[in-house]
Amino acid sequence: MATYPGRVNEVRQDCGGALEAFVACPSSAVPPPGRYLSAYALVDIDAPLATPLFLSQLAPGGFWAAPPFPASWLPGTELILRGPLGTGFDLSSSIARLALAGLSDSPARLLPLALVALKRDCAVTLYTDAHLSALPSTLEIYPLSSLHEALTWPDLLALDLPLERLPALRDLLGLQPGDLLPCPAQALIWTPMPCAGLAECGACAVPSHRGYKLACEDGPVFPINHLEW
Amino acid sequence: MFKSSLSFSLPLMNAAGTLGFAPELRLHRELGQLGAFLTNPVSLTPRTPAHGVRYLTYPGGFLLHTGYPNPGLEAVLRRCVPRWERSPIPVIVHLLGQGVDDLASMALRLESVPGVMGIELGFPKDATHNLVRAFVEAACGELPVIARLPVDQAVELAPTALDAGAEAVSLGAPRGALPLPGRRLVEGRLYGPALFPQALAAVRTLVQMGVLVIGAGGVYFQAQVQSMLSAGALAVQLDSVLWRGNWVSTAD
Repeated sequence: MATYPGRVNEVRQDCGGALEAFVACPSSAVPPPGRYLSAYALVDIDAPLATPLFLSQLAPGGFWAAPPFPASWLPGTELILRGPLGTGFDLSSSIARLALAGLSDSPARLLPLALVALKRDCAVTLYTDAHLSALPSTLEIYPLSSLHEALTWPDLLALDLPLERLPALRDLLGLQPGDLLPCPAQALIWTPMPCAGLAECGACAVPSHRGYKLACEDGPVFPINHLEW
Repeated sequence: MFKSSLSFSLPLMNAAGTLGFAPELRLHRELGQLGAFLTNPVSLTPRTPAHGVRYLTYPGGFLLHTGYPNPGLEAVLRRCVPRWERSPIPVIVHLLGQGVDDLASMALRLESVPGVMGIELGFPKDATHNLVRAFVEAACGELPVIARLPVDQAVELAPTALDAGAEAVSLGAPRGALPLPGRRLVEGRLYGPALFPQALAAVRTLVQMGVLVIGAGGVYFQAQVQSMLSAGALAVQLDSVLWRGNWVSTAD
């Protein structure tokens, strides 16, 4: 399994005010949108487990890692990185209209999709209730409460939400249990992944129409219509 | 077949549930440090993951409540036997005790499976002396049986397990509870560095009792492995440190 050295070179506030870290690492270690690295800081000798790191923004020499990460990580912190792991977003070239919806604390894990799509001259909208700044001016932002009005618009809806908020998403969209979304949708299911793909331990199990799936290996991004929610 | 004795080329192994059902090539760095491979817990019939909260943290560790999901013995055999046969290190299958008949049939089935060196036996929570005796007796056959006992019950239950036919005892995670909002408690197994002193004390006591013991619990550093071996442990199992990573370079 690939492991790489990494280093926290800078810490800054992300668009929502949470802290994100610039991780210097080889380009082969940079996780594509929705995939993750399992990261362990050498200074955290008492840390029981590693931290999953997701891409927030590409940058020369590494990447900006989306929040959260341990408060002990300061510039200069040396990391051991394993990955990239899991299954990420599939942003095919045929997509012209992309909707993003963040139901987690930060929409940072969705932003790399927006940047890729905007480069391709796609129309991109972001639905979030987070207070945001420093976003591309071409990105339209709406409150989550209006998401249900836009379900027929996008070629792809990309979501980021905690596993326990799947029922809340259904309510938000005015759907009944078992209803399918009218548009293609992929969801990054945010849930603890303690074994990070090593053990099939089941802690990150996500119910699907074909039994349970593991966020650490099969996900954390899933076609949402494959999930039981 | 003859009843093999438990000996390992290296006194380290993964704990059951930490590296999956079979040694895989992608784990070569981890496997190179180990003298045996422990499979994930396997039951006779498939088990699905536990519902609700399955992972919580606390200072010094974390609580895990997974329900030991697995596809059942026959599915595991179909999927894993070729890799067990090719494994560079011996494989010990961890059987999840649910009933005496289940265990007896699973243990018998494994006797004809190539690549299997032994059985590690897990018990339900709050296992009694009678249950431990019945389960160990059911699992004993041609393959050596290691009884995995929670570290907080091992000293009490080990004599019963050995008397029933187990060759050794390994230490399993103790159980604990953590609160959720609304005062509901989540119960599960405890892992993390905070467990090491308790685990080392259990190793020492078991060795003094004459028990062949495989130490485990909170081991994150090579020096802790040496402490357990110096206390008389036959071998040491690594658990969550394998998930955290960097065990190999920590050991160097």
